[in-house]
Amino acid sequence: MDWLPLYLSAKLALVTTVILIILTAPLAYILAFCRFPGKTLVEALVNLPVVLPPTVLGFYLLIYMGPQGALGRLWEACTGTSLIFTFPGIVLASLLYSLPFAVQPMRAAFEKLDRRLLESAHILGLYPVATFFRVVLPNARGGLIASAILVFAHTLGEFGVILMVGGSIPGKTKVASIAIFEAVEALRYREAMILSLTLIPVCYLILLLVNLLNRKSAYGS
Amino acid sequence: MKTRLTILGLAICLVFPSLARAGDKLMVAVAANYMVPFQEIRELFVKKYHIEVEQTFASTGKFYAQIIHGAPYDLFLAADEQRPKLLFDQGLATEPFIYATGRLIVWTAKADLRQAKNWQDLIKSSAVQKIAIANIENAPYATAAKIALEKVGLWDSVQGKLVFAQDVAQVFQYAHTGAVDVGFCPLSVMGNDLGQSGFYLKVDQAPPIVQAACVIKNSKHREAAEELAAFLTSAEVMAIKQRIGYE
Repeated sequence: MDWLPLYLSAKLALVTTVILIILTAPLAYILAFCRFPGKTLVEALVNLPVVLPPTVLGFYLLIYMGPQGALGRLWEACTGTSLIFTFPGIVLASLLYSLPFAVQPMRAAFEKLDRRLLESAHILGLYPVATFFRVVLPNARGGLIASAILVFAHTLGEFGVILMVGGSIPGKTKVASIAIFEAVEALRYREAMILSLTLIPVCYLILLLVNLLNRKSAYGS
Repeated sequence: MKTRLTILGLAICLVFPSLARAGDKLMVAVAANYMVPFQEIRELFVKKYHIEVEQTFASTGKFYAQIIHGAPYDLFLAADEQRPKLLFDQGLATEPFIYATGRLIVWTAKADLRQAKNWQDLIKSSAVQKIAIANIENAPYATAAKIALEKVGLWDSVQGKLVFAQDVAQVFQYAHTGAVDVGFCPLSVMGNDLGQSGFYLKVDQAPPIVQAACVIKNSKHREAAEELAAFLTSAEVMAIKQRIGYE
């Protein structure tokens, strides 16, 4: 029994979650508080991965992350290694794929913040950046955690995009969903069963946690 | 009222397309390596016999798993002899017959790899960082590639460079888009313009890939399936096959 795919899935989900939460917190903040022309367009763009077939994302990533693609060349210039069919490659794919799941709960949490808190911070002379870190983030903790859990779960279940840009390399890009798919196709049902049975309680626990958090934030903690 | 009925009717047709068009097409499962010749063969067959043909391309192992679970194919063109025989042994298919023998090549889109004298040199070249190969369990061309790599003692040293595709069609896609430097493909990829845009070397150490086909016993179009099966080994089809790189 090969447990590497499960470890790889967890690693991918964890790395994606950490990077995505850090990267998208400012974006969610801007979407929650700022008004600017074209905001609706940006919102739609952020949400695109929800409705886009993973194959569409996979197709473009395959082209752009390849050695001739813009992203692939940029990565190679910076790191000296190629991007496609590597772990960083599927992390990048996951970042795009899970982007809306990071932005939406955080944005909702930011919007629910008491504006008077922000105004007080402003009046007391706190800089906007400091306000963000010392007032906004601590008060939107529930939203941040919800985002993190959703991104983690969504990345754990990612399949189509990785199938197209992963290359199923053991220990690098062969995550659990791909390993299960290949085990089923090769009629290795026992292996597929074990991997699947491991994933079900993990995903169930994650959802349970999200529900608990939601209830907590609904009733006030 | 009338518009509502029309909408309802349309919705029903969308949900159950088989009502609108009874399943009168021959469904053929074709191993991905045979994509290029099969498209020509199909055109000829449809013209001659007036039987509609619908085909799906995937790896042999994938189709085998689907057929065991009752996938509604009428005819199965595999890339090995083993799977059709297994289906026959289980009483799921009629006796298999060989319809083609294919060859393995390494294919590259990179102009700077054209100097390589043989495929081993190409694989060993320092410019080759990534090599695509199909799923070894499911794709017979990948199995052949593994055998060849083992024979020349390169299997262990290429491990870090291998990228695994679902079938040989995806291998070619990876190689053609430049996502990998080299791919283990069937010779038949040279049968279309995309293949001609690159450079290939034959893998002599790989065994010839003997490909068998069988009619699925559950087929609702048994007669039509038998007809297409017979057509696969006709002189007309032979000419197409040979031009595209099959024996």
